[in-house]
Amino acid sequence: VTPFRAYFFPSGYSLSSEESSHLDTPGGPVQYPVLSRPRMEELMGLLRTARQKGLVSFPVERVVGSVDRVARRLLDPADELRQHALAGLGPHAGFSQPMAVTVLDGMARDWTAPRLNRLLSSEFPDPLALDGFRPGPVGGLVRAMGLPFTFHLGAGSVPGVAVTSLIRALLVKSAAFLKPGLGDVTLPIIFAEGLEEEDPELARSLAVAYWPSDLDVQTELLLGGADLVVVYGGEDAVRWVQGRLPPRTPLKVYRHRLGVGLVGRGALGQGGESEGEAGEGVVGEEVGAGGHRTATDAAWAVALFDQRGCVSPHVLFVERGGAVDPEGWAKLLAGALGELERELPSGQVSPEEGAALQQLRGTAEVEEEAGHGTVYHGGRKAPWTVLVQTEGELTPSCLNRVVRVVPVNDLAEVPSRLQAWVPFLQTVGVAGLADRGSRLREALARVGVSRIVGFSGVPWPPPWWHHDGGGPLRGLVRWTDVEEGG
Amino acid sequence: MSFSELRRELLTLFSRGVSEPLGDDSFNHLALRVFRYQSETNAVYAGFLGRRGLDPESVARWEEVPFLPARAFKAVPLITEGAVAERVFRTSGTIFGPSQRGEHHVRDLSIYRASLLPNFRSYLLPEGGSRTILCLLPAPETAKDSSLSYMMGEVGEHLGGEGALFFADSEGALQMGAFCKALDSAVEKGDPVLVAGTAFSFVRWGNWAKEKGWNVLLPPGSRIMETGGYKGRIRVVARTELYSALHGSLGVPADHIVNEYGMTELLSQFYEPVLKGEAGAGGEGGEGSASLKELAVRYHRGPPWVRTLVLDPLTLVPLPEGEVGILAHFDLANLGSVAAVLTEDLGRPVPGGFRLMGRSQGAEPRGCSLAMEEFMASISEGS
Repeated sequence: VTPFRAYFFPSGYSLSSEESSHLDTPGGPVQYPVLSRPRMEELMGLLRTARQKGLVSFPVERVVGSVDRVARRLLDPADELRQHALAGLGPHAGFSQPMAVTVLDGMARDWTAPRLNRLLSSEFPDPLALDGFRPGPVGGLVRAMGLPFTFHLGAGSVPGVAVTSLIRALLVKSAAFLKPGLGDVTLPIIFAEGLEEEDPELARSLAVAYWPSDLDVQTELLLGGADLVVVYGGEDAVRWVQGRLPPRTPLKVYRHRLGVGLVGRGALGQGGESEGEAGEGVVGEEVGAGGHRTATDAAWAVALFDQRGCVSPHVLFVERGGAVDPEGWAKLLAGALGELERELPSGQVSPEEGAALQQLRGTAEVEEEAGHGTVYHGGRKAPWTVLVQTEGELTPSCLNRVVRVVPVNDLAEVPSRLQAWVPFLQTVGVAGLADRGSRLREALARVGVSRIVGFSGVPWPPPWWHHDGGGPLRGLVRWTDVEEGG
Repeated sequence: MSFSELRRELLTLFSRGVSEPLGDDSFNHLALRVFRYQSETNAVYAGFLGRRGLDPESVARWEEVPFLPARAFKAVPLITEGAVAERVFRTSGTIFGPSQRGEHHVRDLSIYRASLLPNFRSYLLPEGGSRTILCLLPAPETAKDSSLSYMMGEVGEHLGGEGALFFADSEGALQMGAFCKALDSAVEKGDPVLVAGTAFSFVRWGNWAKEKGWNVLLPPGSRIMETGGYKGRIRVVARTELYSALHGSLGVPADHIVNEYGMTELLSQFYEPVLKGEAGAGGEGGEGSASLKELAVRYHRGPPWVRTLVLDPLTLVPLPEGEVGILAHFDLANLGSVAAVLTEDLGRPVPGGFRLMGRSQGAEPRGCSLAMEEFMASISEGS
């Protein structure tokens, strides 16, 4: 098997045969660079120069246009770029092929011009301030500029996240070096290669390379040389970076997050009424389906990225008092997850994840036999598991589409029950809140939730979302103000 | 088939020791009788089997028995005939760290005793005789729910010269001063000793000894049994460091350090047969130091009354040699609870036993599984 070349360097910078090595990974062998300090410094110098001589004076429109062309090729079934991306994405991420297609489509759509332009408008009152001085919103002149050289450390959980990080840097005219996680190694390389074909000058400000942890020294060189570092990962990874970062270098951190869901009785039909009558109620079609549609949407939200996304729900709070009770709805959800195995099959379950999954399932079965809770699962065929939990501590799922359904008398009690989750909370999927929506949304915001969305939108936050509560581009720029007399 | 009948048979079997091989058919015959007895006398377990549409009478091989997850032992007391437990063992968070919690309602301690003694003797004292036994563990009287303390108490009583000495309080705090005195006196006497403890306690001991500049050269033939601590994120590297530290502070070479793999939910244990001259014994590490290579080829083995399978993480079908999967044990000593136990541990079958595995090389913890570890850590810190 030919190893996957897990690096992309600006044209003119090539590796000697001693400057690379191989690693066998669950997704196949990969070839990675082994660079001495002078060679790494040479590379960082090239990126800085390319940005200084090119990118910094390119109009943002050009960056958007070039990224858009790559995105459209990634979306075009006839294009080789898409085929290359799909060949590696699934195996490296451990995703099934239909999942790889779904993820690529969802991600690349957000890299097209209309979406990127909305991102720019959302982040800056006048996006042209990225190209030069513009009148400020309350007078004077303002100019926004990304830092010259940024270093991005990906987590590898969800393919596409690292490319998004690169695009954000390019939009603010920063050169970028990305070290992706192994699970997200394909897409950044393919993206960079596509960009080189579409806009070679722009691609000179870009480098992507993976290497295993025994080459941490390469990571340290980049941390020492970057003007800004963006890190995606868990507490250990973040602490590791913090310990090696020069004191003046700004750090942007995206930690691992968890999602939950709220299913109100508005989405479950009104108690005591027939489905038809309930269908004319406040939330329209959701009610008519008697919880079916919400179950299907929630199943998609759980299943996408095999639940590895920071947006993926782990616990669904389901309200009593609807035509379908939480236990009945859990069964609908289980049915939907089972159905989804055909359309969006589960990926590979790692031994570690499988070990946790089996303990969880078997224990829940024994508990059910003893009269506590209920469990549905995909048996030997599929890892999906639905647990109805009426008592005890709420813990995150062991991934692979394992979700807890927690019955509640009133959704109003949920925000306070989420206290332990606060540092990890991000997306809350909702359905059937009806006229209680504004009160619940406010309560969720107060406990620290950064995104509230209907279940069908859960997997796909738009490019302009406040990622973990902050502006995705605003955190990357420095402003220059020109005041009176300036 | 009654409990006492099966118990009697098992005690006879265990008393033959671990060197006496037990043929496949003999094991299978006994295992199926134990399984049927358990399925008939434990309603919760019967329900677990019933969900799989399994008729216990139709099972022809022990490998077909559905393995019950170890964590289920904690969720519901599992004991045959609803009997009163003679003892409830719990894995304490203070000794093993918060993630290693377990519980086992033990119906009859005599079966545990009968299983643990010949096994321990065979792997820790293969040349016979008795030893002074020093334990970096709480005494069985103060830690009544620790199966490990119970085990070492029994070992001390039956295989130790004058019983085992314990150097930790019920909270797991080590009594360093008293331990040092005991080591000194062992050196004075010149007789080899056996030191037992968790990897955790030995790390703490090593740090303390290094800080104080304390070290001793235990008489030749002294040995160490350490247990726990090589799962999850702790890698072989950490083990090499630990063994080097133990060599430095106690003078016991790596080929005299044996890892015990046991769990509260199983009444039998697994050992590395290094003192029997197998599994990386006398490797290339040179005088006393443990090389990575040597530790990487080590493996564990149980007594003849336990059989181990390595299962596919999703389908739970047995895997061929060389592949990493979930360890499942059929332990006849678990007569009073459930014999077929699915662990959370990963391993790979090797000739002569199985190799415990940490996280596989090149496999990064994926996304939120790491968040889960962090989540659990933050919860336990908070409480």
